[in-house]
Amino acid sequence: MTTATSERTSIEHGTIGPCHVGPDSLIDIKRQQTNPSRWKGESWSAFAAALCDFGIELRESVAARGTFATDAGGTAYGLPHGVVIARSAVQVSLLLKAAQQHRVPVTVRGGGLTTEGESVAFGGVLLDMTGMSRVLHIDTEALTVRTEAGIFWHSLAEELRRVNMDYLSAPLNLTSSVGGTLGVGGIDVNSPRLGCSADQALALQVVTPTGDIVECSDTHNAELFQRVILGYGQFGVITEATLKIRRYTPLRMHYFYYDSLRTAIEDMQLLNRNDASDYSGILTIMDCAVNLLVAFDSDEREAAFKANWQPKLRGHGEFGFALRMALRYALRPWKLGEAWFLFKRKRDIFPEFRRSEYLRDGLMHDRTVVFSRAVWKFWGSKQMVIPDLATSADKFVEAVERGNQVCRKYFPHYTLYLVGIKLRPEHKPHYEMSCIPSDAEGWAYGCEFEPMIDGHVYSRDHLQSFKNAIYDIGVELGGSYYRFGGMMKGYIRRVFGDEVVDRHLAMKRRADPAMILNREVIF
Amino acid sequence: MRTVDVIIVGAGLSAAAAAKRLVDSGLETLVLERQKLPRHKICSGILSPRGHRFLLENFGPLPREVLHDPVSCRGVTFHFPSGVSMPMDFFGGTTPHLHRKFSDHWAIKQSGAEVHDQTSFIGLQDHGDHVIVQARKNGEPVEYRARYVIGADGPSSPVTRAIYPDYPQSIPWFFVGQKFHEIIECPLDEQYFHFWFHPGLGHYTWSHARDGRQIVGVGFKSGDNFAKKHANVVNYLGEKHGVRLGEPLDDEGCAENFGPSLVNRYVFGKGNVLITGQAGGFLNMIGEGMSCALHSGAISGEAIVEARLRNRPVQEMYRKMIASEVRRTTDQWNPLKIAFDRPHEADFPAALMALGWRDRARVLRDMWRFVVLYKEFNWGRQIFKAAVQRPLIGGYSMRHWR
Repeated sequence: MTTATSERTSIEHGTIGPCHVGPDSLIDIKRQQTNPSRWKGESWSAFAAALCDFGIELRESVAARGTFATDAGGTAYGLPHGVVIARSAVQVSLLLKAAQQHRVPVTVRGGGLTTEGESVAFGGVLLDMTGMSRVLHIDTEALTVRTEAGIFWHSLAEELRRVNMDYLSAPLNLTSSVGGTLGVGGIDVNSPRLGCSADQALALQVVTPTGDIVECSDTHNAELFQRVILGYGQFGVITEATLKIRRYTPLRMHYFYYDSLRTAIEDMQLLNRNDASDYSGILTIMDCAVNLLVAFDSDEREAAFKANWQPKLRGHGEFGFALRMALRYALRPWKLGEAWFLFKRKRDIFPEFRRSEYLRDGLMHDRTVVFSRAVWKFWGSKQMVIPDLATSADKFVEAVERGNQVCRKYFPHYTLYLVGIKLRPEHKPHYEMSCIPSDAEGWAYGCEFEPMIDGHVYSRDHLQSFKNAIYDIGVELGGSYYRFGGMMKGYIRRVFGDEVVDRHLAMKRRADPAMILNREVIF
Repeated sequence: MRTVDVIIVGAGLSAAAAAKRLVDSGLETLVLERQKLPRHKICSGILSPRGHRFLLENFGPLPREVLHDPVSCRGVTFHFPSGVSMPMDFFGGTTPHLHRKFSDHWAIKQSGAEVHDQTSFIGLQDHGDHVIVQARKNGEPVEYRARYVIGADGPSSPVTRAIYPDYPQSIPWFFVGQKFHEIIECPLDEQYFHFWFHPGLGHYTWSHARDGRQIVGVGFKSGDNFAKKHANVVNYLGEKHGVRLGEPLDDEGCAENFGPSLVNRYVFGKGNVLITGQAGGFLNMIGEGMSCALHSGAISGEAIVEARLRNRPVQEMYRKMIASEVRRTTDQWNPLKIAFDRPHEADFPAALMALGWRDRARVLRDMWRFVVLYKEFNWGRQIFKAAVQRPLIGGYSMRHWR
């Protein structure tokens, strides 16, 4: 067994170990341990002493570490040896230099809203970025904000609203951090027009894995900027970000209801292709009630939509759709249970989007609060299980329909969230090995498949089998995923191919010689 | 007295999976094993692809030392008295031929749990907020205190017997034995695990190659004579398949509980004590228990983690979470699932349809005659009820679990 152990430890991070079973064993499934073993802590004491010398507070109590035992996904568990709360770029730099020297894994965490254990530390030090959460400067003329990257989006929104400003694009779940979002993408209902949240970053302050503090942008240290944006935390810790902002406007909301996923998707893509709306996205109750949400920042845009595009949409108003549903279930009495669920869901959710404190004169104010609140209230649970698929426009209907069948097989109730992402040609270098599929032109489309777990408790194997069934579709269609790290990193080489992954691995090794930074996430 | 969060009794694959989940979540976990590690384990070692994936994803790629020769198995071949043979490849490609002595030891070490070997479980008392476990180490009595105990100690589980003293009498027991023969001539394809649906040979008859020898095994209701049964199988293989074997060089056997997963009569423990793996009754069709041991073991660990996080009784969590593994395992024995779905990791319906219609009829007739062999256990009605229940409630009733 000595040989076996030494063989295991000699497998470098990111490389695939030998398979003694056979080349046709687990066909296409890469031989990677996706639920990592805990780092043994060989050099922890020396590292802790180094941090102490630098005056960096290291929290090693069980309570401090236990807080970070899992992430929003709740399927990956691990404990760091210690926790450091980020205070400044200099402090982060000293920490990373010591970590390189002592080869201590560093896991960076913002809001902890990863779903595959990407922000879970399997030993080593956990760097909690929420300690760096100040807004540094708002430029209302240039329409930019400089902020520390550990700030949550809702806090940033609150600061911006004080000067009548708003961010451009942020994930619907606003307890995610700015830095974490820039590292993975960030999808909003205005992404079909503006791109993902990461596309709104103009410049970053990054602490590289070797501890250098570097300012980067599309024109300055561009290569680092390209790698850090959508880089899943592999090439540096984002400590500050300069983001585009805009003047605050309330939204003019329109809802169209469909009983066909395909029709709703085609209509959404029609709007996106023709720049017919400022916001669009689809939220469903299973595949029975499909809601296409369309919204506008200005009366002019709304009027143009009503005149040119609304007549072309095949969705129904609320009353018309209710009549169709009543007829549908009258003819299918054996599906009354499903009808009752739809009715209950509508009764609970709809008022939430029309609360008087947010809806005035037909305009929705503070969409950030409305959406984020609804996400947690109606879609959140102890375990956020949200596998997703990202494809080019032409493959999207098939991806959603196949994923929908998987949902039906595994769970009685679920919801789908579908949105487009406008691609920015000048950002193409950012998109390699990211959530943006390599064959997407113009727009990429993403769909999240989210079971309604409610009060149920499922084994991780059941949840993982469900996720794998969704992810397998992505492999077959040649797509990508919004989340592809952590426990699903076994899909990375399957989707992107060895050439791309090995190239990024070589870059990672150059940037991070000891492979310490977020090392269980991608490689 | 040593106090830990969780004690796991047994150091097999289900124990390793449970330990992995518990250690990952920061719980102090102690594994008690009766024998000195690494220890011998009677097993075919043919792991299903699903189990292989679990090992890979949770413990890393398998070292060569944990595999027998041949290192892999391509699939299963069913043989019938009418002379029809049906080779079926596993969906996931070849699968490992585990050397249980080393694979189990490797997995338990990879889990990161502390292991006390040569420590025999004697008994336990559940005091509501903790469990006292009595054991014997090197002949000396020793006591442990834990918040939870997991019994992952195999089919003849001492933990199960400590909780349910009547359990051994409540289910039929089988003896499975295998002998290792020198090979003179063996036309059976060594890339497959061979299984005979032959009521005249035994309740469970198999053969496969290992480390240059041919294993011939037979399972039957406890009380019958292993030597006679085995000799009968060897003669049959010689006459029907041209297998010529030398005298057996070694033999081994153990008691097995085939019934619980077949009729949905699992045992999952009481209070703060969970039963998992084959101790709980998990066994796939064709007797592969490792993959469901891995998954059910992991679920027992997860249940403890969830119970602590949600402040709910651990039994409630375990029984809700284990339902998915019960579905997967009992589906494999469910005739409706076998006929209209693909519950196994090899495609039996496709292999059957690939035969000519005469052979198809022969196979179905032979299978029926084989099933009749089990008539004395009165499982028919229970299997029928479970099969009907499955589409109606989307699973199997928890009422029959203990």
